[in-house]
Amino acid sequence: MQEPKLERKSEGEYTLDVRGQTCPFPQILSQLALEKLREGSILEVITDNPPSARDVPIALRKKGYEVEVKKSNGQWHIVVKK
Amino acid sequence: MELEMEKVMRFMGRYSLGRDNGMGSLHFLRIKIPGGVITSEYFKGIAELSREYGRGYAEITDRQDIQLHWIEGDDALDIFERLEKMGFTTDMCGQAFPGAGHGDVRNIVGCPLSGVNKDELIDGYPVIKELTRFFTGNEDFLDLPKKFKFSISGCMYNCTRAEINDMAFIPVVHDGEIGFTVLAGGGAGKTLPGPTLAKPLRVFLSQEEVFDVAVATVEIFRDHGNRESKAKARFKYLLDQIGVNGLRNMIEKKLGRKLEDYHGDVSREWIEHTGVGEQKDERYYVCVPLIGGKLSSDIMEWYAGLAEEYGTGDLRLTTFQNLIIVNVEDKEGLLKELGKEGVVLKGIIPKWTAVGCASDFCGKTKEYHSKEIVRDIVEHLETSYPNIFVNQDFKIGVSGCPNNCGYSVIASVGLEGRLIRVNGSVKQGYDIYLRGKLENGSIGRRVAEGVPAENVVNVLNKLLEQYKIKLKNESEIRFVDFLEKLSDTEIKKLVEVT
Ligand code: SF4
Repeated sequence: MQEPKLERKSEGEYTLDVRGQTCPFPQILSQLALEKLREGSILEVITDNPPSARDVPIALRKKGYEVEVKKSNGQWHIVVKK
Repeated sequence: MELEMEKVMRFMGRYSLGRDNGMGSLHFLRIKIPGGVITSEYFKGIAELSREYGRGYAEITDRQDIQLHWIEGDDALDIFERLEKMGFTTDMCGQAFPGAGHGDVRNIVGCPLSGVNKDELIDGYPVIKELTRFFTGNEDFLDLPKKFKFSISGCMYNCTRAEINDMAFIPVVHDGEIGFTVLAGGGAGKTLPGPTLAKPLRVFLSQEEVFDVAVATVEIFRDHGNRESKAKARFKYLLDQIGVNGLRNMIEKKLGRKLEDYHGDVSREWIEHTGVGEQKDERYYVCVPLIGGKLSSDIMEWYAGLAEEYGTGDLRLTTFQNLIIVNVEDKEGLLKELGKEGVVLKGIIPKWTAVGCASDFCGKTKEYHSKEIVRDIVEHLETSYPNIFVNQDFKIGVSGCPNNCGYSVIASVGLEGRLIRVNGSVKQGYDIYLRGKLENGSIGRRVAEGVPAENVVNVLNKLLEQYKIKLKNESEIRFVDFLEKLSDTEIKKLVEVT
């Protein structure tokens, strides 16, 4: 199984690709990634799993993060501000 | 950048949460219990998980899993860790992805009395365990076109609904040898080619051959199943394209040898191991009817305690969503204990055999959910027809939608949820199916569409009243035979909502 990678896009901006992963892994991986990042960083989580697209923003907002969701080409880009 | 992944990766491919959309639950956890075989210790372990993480609620599914709801993503790793210690895994729940793919081998069902059943030709459980071990977390089989369902049972009765599995191994005697024959390509759901009963592959297998044939079949499905769309991705669609002989040839090619022919009968009576029965070792099994498979953590612990006190601490889950305590010596003592809490093991057979899906949590039904309808129908039968169905069964299957998890289309009386418009507002309705059966099988016929949910029991009652009248002249006629003989005009009149 491919290990999901957290990639740095530019200064303070990161991408986490969790396509192909089912719940609860996109949520858990997003939280793990956010723990690693500095305050003010932006994390973009990419998922193609509809339940995760629904649940990850709910879980992260509950934890106090600012979250925005965009959908394009059958996948979701969940943009989280730490 | 590396994530600290060891703990997370350990569970990937073996555990997941499914999507709920009702009752305020976002996730369910479907714990596979291979063959429905579980010890009291682990049954209590799952009861504890239910209490800590799932509001103390649990249900037995029609594939012998235990399903919990209201599971939070944050708690998942702790839960997985505890399940791992018990040796259990979960369904992979990849069905929510928009396209085909992400399919896994689902909990393998088996006769719930395997090993102790006096009506069994072979104990199917060892091969269930072997295949479960092989497929669990096996990366080669985690991205099937869709889920794959096996039934492996050595029971002389059809207690696992063999015909609606992708592949079913059923016991036969051939030239004096006991082994298995195979049915392939069944499935009750709406996906193409629609509800289908599995067809005989006309082969005879020794017990030792089952594992290889099962693995070869899943490989064929993985490599040749349709991945264009979800609607065409189930194994039954592939089988429709290649035919049973085509499948047999492909399996034989993979195995590098011909399989032995078997042309005998494959139809067996579809039953549940109801009530109290004798085992092959002269001890007893006690099957407790659970309406819709519903349990609470307290009740699970109570049953586990009874299994320890009166049996050997062994429990079994059935495909009719019931619970069996096996290896009981003092059956009278156990019945007395059960009776004290109002659990009565006498009465109408449909209280064991009626099945309802989890449409409440699924969010597909708006009100009057599948399990509630099952409860009300069973109560109605017990109150109004207490003596008729003590000795005869008819199957009631209630599903919230055409996915047919409550197997409406193979039940004698099946209900399938659909939302309807009444005076401008959306309400819960049900389509009614009649005459589904597995013995010399036929798919039920839809006889009414969108009956308002609150009228469903009344409609069924009209059928039952007619049957009662019929019984006065033909005392031997069973309800299922009465249904078979009704003309289209009579059915129309009876199911019409006035
Ligand atoms: S039949 Fe439909 S409503 Fe019922 S559990 Fe299956 S998908 Fe959900």
